[in-house]
Amino acid sequence: MGNTGFEKKITLLRPNDIKPTFFKKIAAMGIKDMITFKNVNKWFGKHHVLKEINLNVEPGEVLVVCGPSGSGKSTLLRCINRLESLQSGEIIIDGIKVHGRETNITKLRAEIGFVFQQFNLYPHMTAIENITIAPIKVRKLKKEVARKLGQEILDKVGLGDKAGSYPSQLSGGQQQRVAIARGLCMQPKIMLFDEPTSSLDPEMINEVLDVIRNLANEGMTMIVVTHEMGFAREAANRVAFIDEGRLVEIAPPEKFFKNPKNERTRLFLSKILAR
Amino acid sequence: MWGYYLEQLIGSLPLFLKGLGITAAVSILSLVGGTIIGFFLGVIRAGGIKPVRFLIGGWVDLIRGTPFLVQLFIVFFIFPDVGIHLDALPAAVLSLTNLSACFICEIVAGGILAVPAGQKEAAAASGLSAYQQMRYLVMPQAMPTILPPLVGQYVLLIKDSSVISVIGVVDITRVGWLTVQRIPEGLMVFGLVGILYFIICYPIIRFSNLLEKRMKFGKYRF
Amino acid sequence: MLQAFNFRIILEYMPLYSQCFMATLWLSAVSLIGALLIGTAACAMRIGHYRPLARIAVIYIESIRSTPLLAQLYLVYFGLPSLGIRMSEEMTGILVLTLNSGAYMAEIIRGGIQSIPSGHIEAGIASGLNYFQRMRYIILPPALGATLPAMLGQAIVLVKDSALLSLISIMELTRAGQILTSERFMPVEGFLTTAAFYLLIYYILKSLTSWSQKRLIFREIH
Repeated sequence: MGNTGFEKKITLLRPNDIKPTFFKKIAAMGIKDMITFKNVNKWFGKHHVLKEINLNVEPGEVLVVCGPSGSGKSTLLRCINRLESLQSGEIIIDGIKVHGRETNITKLRAEIGFVFQQFNLYPHMTAIENITIAPIKVRKLKKEVARKLGQEILDKVGLGDKAGSYPSQLSGGQQQRVAIARGLCMQPKIMLFDEPTSSLDPEMINEVLDVIRNLANEGMTMIVVTHEMGFAREAANRVAFIDEGRLVEIAPPEKFFKNPKNERTRLFLSKILAR
Repeated sequence: MWGYYLEQLIGSLPLFLKGLGITAAVSILSLVGGTIIGFFLGVIRAGGIKPVRFLIGGWVDLIRGTPFLVQLFIVFFIFPDVGIHLDALPAAVLSLTNLSACFICEIVAGGILAVPAGQKEAAAASGLSAYQQMRYLVMPQAMPTILPPLVGQYVLLIKDSSVISVIGVVDITRVGWLTVQRIPEGLMVFGLVGILYFIICYPIIRFSNLLEKRMKFGKYRF
Repeated sequence: MLQAFNFRIILEYMPLYSQCFMATLWLSAVSLIGALLIGTAACAMRIGHYRPLARIAVIYIESIRSTPLLAQLYLVYFGLPSLGIRMSEEMTGILVLTLNSGAYMAEIIRGGIQSIPSGHIEAGIASGLNYFQRMRYIILPPALGATLPAMLGQAIVLVKDSALLSLISIMELTRAGQILTSERFMPVEGFLTTAAFYLLIYYILKSLTSWSQKRLIFREIH
């Protein structure tokens, strides 16, 4: 498996049998949901991309979203930090309406880490610069403090020695791990992953998934859009299936994979698991 | 005869140098003004709201679509008609600044739009404000695309500044035009004019070419 | 006094304007064709293997690009008589515009040729085509296609540059504005009408440019 140095932990901890402390703490504070979708609708022109989405994600929960390409799963994710606008309904994060007029979106976005399929690392900055720019400029951390934090997080994703490398000098898997570190460096409440392994070579997929798995074990609230069903089975608390803009099915992994209720889910799973 | 004219020409060399000074002063003024305004407009054109973008685009088209000479005549002859009286020199600087601002606006907007959209999204997703995205991520990446044509634009600006001689600004070209009335050796007089322009423009052209090569190969490694 | 815009005077001068409009089109078209020929020749000299010719081409291109058109125009206009050559104003104008644009055309064509992947040329060599055959069948067709937008851009510049010919009293669009201004003292009507005619040409050439760019992108995909 990957070279992140966390293999042992993974075999010991399963997200479903040990509830992490972070989750408990938040739960104790009485906050019910971290992310709530209420009757969300979105159109791209005439194309109805999201249809009446209702969904909630609890603190510490890991939700895996899957579905055929073009089904709207990436859009759903991008709506959460307002990279996309909504036409009706609302999304509430930690009590704040994302698409509210008076919402300070940059402040909210600072609480949400986002990992793109194409990494989107800044090519003119080194790895450490990539991950510390937002903490320095948004969180107003001192440069040295941010660097120290950044180095710790790079160590955590197994790239401590790559701090001074430019994105072009890193492999795809390494770039994606830097991108994850960039999200983490803001110490967010939520991490969103938009097909984080889809543009990676097969041999690099696991090193990235390992990092995400570790985050799950630490109790980070996460939504992961992915086709990696193995990952979904072992790391997700719930799995959602989206097709043609509709949330077709959402269930814990055992249920989701063993007996999906919906015919379309079954069809999709048979296709994707047959690969 | 030829030798006599040459002597005369050398005698009026101080006049040429004075003209060179005017050309340089007008160019630098409009260059600085045009760059500041051009960057400002370019940023808005690449990312502002639609009506403003449309407005800037329309203005840029008007300026790019008409000869500078006509623009200069409009500023010099028509502005007094609507109550704005400008001397030749301010009129020249104003129209040159406007011209370069419009061209630079297009260069800057083009450079910004060439930065992949994912870069802006990534920056937005980590909570950077629109200004911070522009300042730390978009501009540094757009600069390699912007810089070579920007420097090239400066050469065009200096060359276009020769047109202001028409409304009586005593720049190099005007000095040449005045001199040729006294010394009817057009080749000699305007040869000198050409050499003076060449001395300014050629190094800048070489510099622009150098920048272009640099930017092409060593992108993001300066 | 823009509210008192006198349309009647424009109607009265319309025959002059249409005549001058045609003159601008004619002068530009002739110069454009000339520039294409000279540009192709200069480019061939520059990238060819015969050193002295290449050097001549470089000197020609760089000295044109480093000096203003107006200085070049005056050089020829005042300079030829002192060499004992008599030429009509129109001929002088066309000559200068052609030589000026030719230098820019040469660079545009060179850019197009350099954009051809060396693999294509090697494939041509490998299949036994000689230099001219390679140029004719492998290099030039795609190179011309790739440079079409830039060439149309140069055509726009050429049309605008032709305004300077009014300064050596050639009858063309800008001259018409000057005439209206001096005969009736109506610079507003005069120069705005002139500008409108230039904009007409500009928008036509601009839409041609974007059409050719789209075609180019389309071809790249397929």
